[in-house]
Amino acid sequence: MKLVIVARGHAVVYDSDETFALAVMGPITATFTYCLAVFTYGLSGDIAGRPSMYPRRLFTLPVSTAVLAGWPMLHGTIAVALLWAATRAFVLWPSGVAVPVLWPAIAAAALLAWTQALTWMPYGLPGVRVILAVLWLGTIQSIVLLGLRYDTSESLMLAIIAPQIPLAYLAARLAVALARRGVVPDWRGAFTWMARLAPVRTARGQFASPARAQAWLEWRRHGWTLPALVGILLPCELALLFATGDTPTLVWIILFGVLLTPPFMAAFVAATVRKPDLDGQGGGEHYGLPPFLATRPLSNRALIAAKLEMSFWSTAVTWALVLVAIPVALRLTDTWPIVLERWHRTIALMGEARASVLTLLIVAGFMVSTWKQLVQTLFIGMTGRVWIVRTSLILTLVLVSVIGPLLDWVAGNGAVRAALWDAAPTVLAVLAALKLSAAVWVAVRLYHSRLLRDRTLVIGAALWCGAVLALAAVLSWWIASEFFPRYLFVLVAILAIPLVRLSAAPLALAWNRHR
Amino acid sequence: MSEPVIAVTELTRRFGNKTALAGVSLSLARGAVYGLVGANGAGKTTLIRHLLGLLHAEAGAVRVFGLDPVQDPVAVLSRIGYLSEENDLPGWMRLDELLRYTRAFFPAWDDAYAEELRGAFGLDPAAKIRTLSKGEKARAGLLVALAHRPELLILDEPSSGLDPIARRDILGAVIRTIAHEGRTVLFSSHLLDEVEEVADHVTMISHGRVVLSGSLDDIKAAHTVDGRTPTLNEIFVATVGAT
Repeated sequence: MKLVIVARGHAVVYDSDETFALAVMGPITATFTYCLAVFTYGLSGDIAGRPSMYPRRLFTLPVSTAVLAGWPMLHGTIAVALLWAATRAFVLWPSGVAVPVLWPAIAAAALLAWTQALTWMPYGLPGVRVILAVLWLGTIQSIVLLGLRYDTSESLMLAIIAPQIPLAYLAARLAVALARRGVVPDWRGAFTWMARLAPVRTARGQFASPARAQAWLEWRRHGWTLPALVGILLPCELALLFATGDTPTLVWIILFGVLLTPPFMAAFVAATVRKPDLDGQGGGEHYGLPPFLATRPLSNRALIAAKLEMSFWSTAVTWALVLVAIPVALRLTDTWPIVLERWHRTIALMGEARASVLTLLIVAGFMVSTWKQLVQTLFIGMTGRVWIVRTSLILTLVLVSVIGPLLDWVAGNGAVRAALWDAAPTVLAVLAALKLSAAVWVAVRLYHSRLLRDRTLVIGAALWCGAVLALAAVLSWWIASEFFPRYLFVLVAILAIPLVRLSAAPLALAWNRHR
Repeated sequence: MSEPVIAVTELTRRFGNKTALAGVSLSLARGAVYGLVGANGAGKTTLIRHLLGLLHAEAGAVRVFGLDPVQDPVAVLSRIGYLSEENDLPGWMRLDELLRYTRAFFPAWDDAYAEELRGAFGLDPAAKIRTLSKGEKARAGLLVALAHRPELLILDEPSSGLDPIARRDILGAVIRTIAHEGRTVLFSSHLLDEVEEVADHVTMISHGRVVLSGSLDDIKAAHTVDGRTPTLNEIFVATVGAT
């Protein structure tokens, strides 16, 4: 990145070891992530679903299960090991740096092998795959980090990491064997009591309207996935508060992590929500609307509205869990005084009203972000085109790979920072103009295709304008400074409140439903 | 003369280089049973998907109850009962949940009739759809397609999931009942003896074109040679084989 884009024609100088490490790790991480997606067949699977992500078409090949599990693992582990070998050979390492020879390759191979095993395994509950992957792969990475921290010898690192690969192979072989026999455990029966708490449940008799029936179907399909995932992770995260002692920084890091969990997990759940299949059994190639849904006498708008409603309630239940769990955990771990002390300091600094608004804005921001994560990619899945889904995935991976080095470059370059600061109003204005232009295009298409009634379009636009003005007013009141002209807050609010991607969802669904 | 239930005019559809339908025209009157026959890949399902609004007409026009099913999906689909060849009912639903969910979309849903059909089909209301056999799933699909007494019943290869006895006892009886009530049935099949048994009118499709269409009696009369009336199977082989 730095060589090709940022410092073209100039000598590349890294100010610190961290910057150098970032420049090296950026491309490696991106390539490694790509390898993970390719060798787990993850680009075409439902990561939050219960069934195995191993492609079913391969199960009929006249080969043993050991071959089905072993060869992709062998290819993958060799590929990532070669990735490290190439990096070690071709990077101009600073003198005096002892670059390990073998263990990073073995660690990468172990991570890939375990990712394969975990993605190919069928699970009894939606989302368990994500939780297990986060916990187990995080554990392996923590072991590696601890080894680095204590300057462990290469042979000891190898002794710790290398056995992971055969273990992962055995797990992968079991996973493929189960998937090949069509085994998908179902533990959802143990959670039927939760259905009684469902916000969109209905009387046993009948639904009040087709829209209620569709909302019920969406809730049954996806409603509990996010609350269940977050509910499983919350105790693990909040239990860390017991280990923080009296260190306020650690308490705040843990609380920040807890607040970040719902939007983070929502990004994974969204991959399932945006798939229009009914059973989560269709595999990654089935983004087309099933005839059962496509032939419901229900408008495209109503089909999308049911998904939005389900996402709203799913977010609400998730945040109810989080907002109850945090005070309880703070009380149980005696870390409540740390939070109170910070609260009093904040009040002293900015006054009670501003401190309250700040807190509300932060929590509301996380909540809205959770809902936004769930619904903002609906329009991609609703198109029903696998090539669009894959392209968006690849673009996201590229963006994630590029954003780190770019931010690092901006942070380390005063002139660029100053130029960006000066250009911020123009950049924001251009982005807002682009967003509004796209919104107008979508609105015109919605109007001409009669997907939304005129009244709905007008009410939607009015509500959006109201939300933008309200957010701009709050920001303007809270920040109130002559450094920030008010129009800046309006621009920020325009960019922050969801519009284009949400309103494009009915268009995408119509494109899918009426091919 | 009343407006046809289905009016297809010069409908053409291509998928890449393959022409799935080439200038198909069709008109279905109210109160009759229409059999749509053709070899696999002839274009039967593509035509049915146009009638349901799942495909838009690239060229030509499709009208169901005088409406465009793509522009007015709710108005059209609320008057149609449809059994999909894929039979993609949600496996996680129990049968009673499926009935409760489906009835919400159809104001004309008849609970007593639904219960009567459920009993006749031998389906357990507490059973999950995924635990049903292929034949039972087909019956469940037929149940929810029929229970709102649709004006137009579209069955796409309905026999594929049913055993011969079920085909004769259930499908035949149901189709005749629907037709006697003055409603219209369109069903596609490649099992020609089955079509011959229940259809009043037959449309044969081959390579995306209608090669023969008319009342079954007229078609048979036209193909009678030396006093011998051929079976629909023989007519199909003679007609499609010649195209």
